[in-house]
Amino acid sequence: MKILVCISCVPDTTSKISFINESEFDKNNVQYIIGPYEDYALARAVELKEKDSSIDISLLNIGLSENDHLLRKGLAIGADRAFRINANPVDSKFVSANIANFVENNDFDLILMGKESIDYNSGLVHFLTGSILNIKTFNSVTYLDLENNENAIIKRETETGIEKLKAKLPLILGCQEPIAEWKIPNMRGIMSARTKELLVVEPIVQSSGFHYKKFNLPLKKTSIKMFSLENINDLLKELKLK
Amino acid sequence: MASLVFIEFDKNIINGYTKQSATLASLNSNLVIGVSDYKDEVYLNTLGEYGFDKVYMVNDFSNEDKIFNIIRDENIQTIFSSNSNNIKEISSKISINFNFPILNNVINLESINKPKTSIFSGKAEAEIQIDTDKCIFILNKNLIESKEFNKSTKVVNLVTSVNENNYLVLEKVDNKEDVSLLNAEIVVSAGRGLKGPENWEMIENLAKKLNAATACSKPVSDAGWRPHHEHVGQTGIKISPQIYFAIGISGAIQHLAGVNSSKNIIVINSDPEAPFFKSADYGIVGDAFEIVPELLKALDN
Repeated sequence: MKILVCISCVPDTTSKISFINESEFDKNNVQYIIGPYEDYALARAVELKEKDSSIDISLLNIGLSENDHLLRKGLAIGADRAFRINANPVDSKFVSANIANFVENNDFDLILMGKESIDYNSGLVHFLTGSILNIKTFNSVTYLDLENNENAIIKRETETGIEKLKAKLPLILGCQEPIAEWKIPNMRGIMSARTKELLVVEPIVQSSGFHYKKFNLPLKKTSIKMFSLENINDLLKELKLK
Repeated sequence: MASLVFIEFDKNIINGYTKQSATLASLNSNLVIGVSDYKDEVYLNTLGEYGFDKVYMVNDFSNEDKIFNIIRDENIQTIFSSNSNNIKEISSKISINFNFPILNNVINLESINKPKTSIFSGKAEAEIQIDTDKCIFILNKNLIESKEFNKSTKVVNLVTSVNENNYLVLEKVDNKEDVSLLNAEIVVSAGRGLKGPENWEMIENLAKKLNAATACSKPVSDAGWRPHHEHVGQTGIKISPQIYFAIGISGAIQHLAGVNSSKNIIVINSDPEAPFFKSADYGIVGDAFEIVPELLKALDN
């Protein structure tokens, strides 16, 4: 059983976002993390491996060498090897074309991703990759178990509730909480990560039919109107609720 | 130019997302095609009032061959859609097969080839240049007011063979709430300030009175006080209702990321220094256990 976990490397959730000349994200003083949703995906893959040691976990990121420390962290958490496609992850189509190309050259039974990356939030990479590879894709997956290395039992959130499914592998899954508990690398993991492989792969070219022209911050709320117990009626009138 | 809208329903009538998509499609093209997986021909015939010229009925959106045929036959150039997963899935297939650019979290479409999208969980915005004459726009809610049109709609029933799925649905559990969080125009959300799950009755009552959905912060769903699908925030559901009540929620940056595109944010918190007040439109400093009953009373009168 070969699992691929695709991770994004994104600014920490508490980061202040700013841009240089409205054209480029300002990476100064920003701490990067493994995307929170992918952190869940990786944690679940490692839990499955703890139950079945024959499971092999590869980690994949599309990014520059500045992400290597996060791939090492993923190895310390429990992945067996890591790959980095050496390119700026410009948009979801570029990223999914590169993941699909990588998967075509390396067979996997299960491809885990996060529900969405928290930088550009497109939430499309899993579906686009699935469309290129013609692999069934489920998103908002909150539970995952394997059955005889042939099927996955999953739960996914839908617009109206939760569905429990049994699906034939291979599959692509966009994961989210509470699929697993985030894992913190222990000392043994950190030591063993040093000797695990981290391979760099060259990207393929893919145009997406659009480009980013400029970036800016949304307008701040300028003034807040305060109310109190005494004039709660006025608030309701202001909101046209009365 | 022809556009396509995937029609979605909330309790058997088209939802706000679909109305908005149809309005944008009507404003930007001369032929608006709908695709519906709910085969109520009589109702679909009335959708001209929202701008649809023609509606195809299909068994489900996962039958991509039928939908690809519609794209080809009608010469579709733009697609307007909501961000629900089954629509994102078919939109992705169209994007790959027909080489459409695809954009999510579109917040401004005043100029169709220069859309704006929300990025970094609402902390920033991007202005985009589309380089082709085709595009798929996945829209944020409440981007524009939907308009009424006076068109007559032709309904076409596409008989589709049952798709052979390689998966089996074992169990389906529907959310118990009357109003779904994604469709709700008003959301009543509460946090740790409520002290315990036993105190949610007043929140539910307030929501009921306002025909609103209930939501909560991450610590509340983590503690198991409320179900996980109610968690709004950076790693939960992102919403943009007309009115968002945040009761006993301090307003951590991760929570704001999920709600900051709401039209009107009302913060009720006993701590006047709560950071949420900086991002709110309206505020009340006070104890939720006093304010909420008062709100309920005021709504009754």
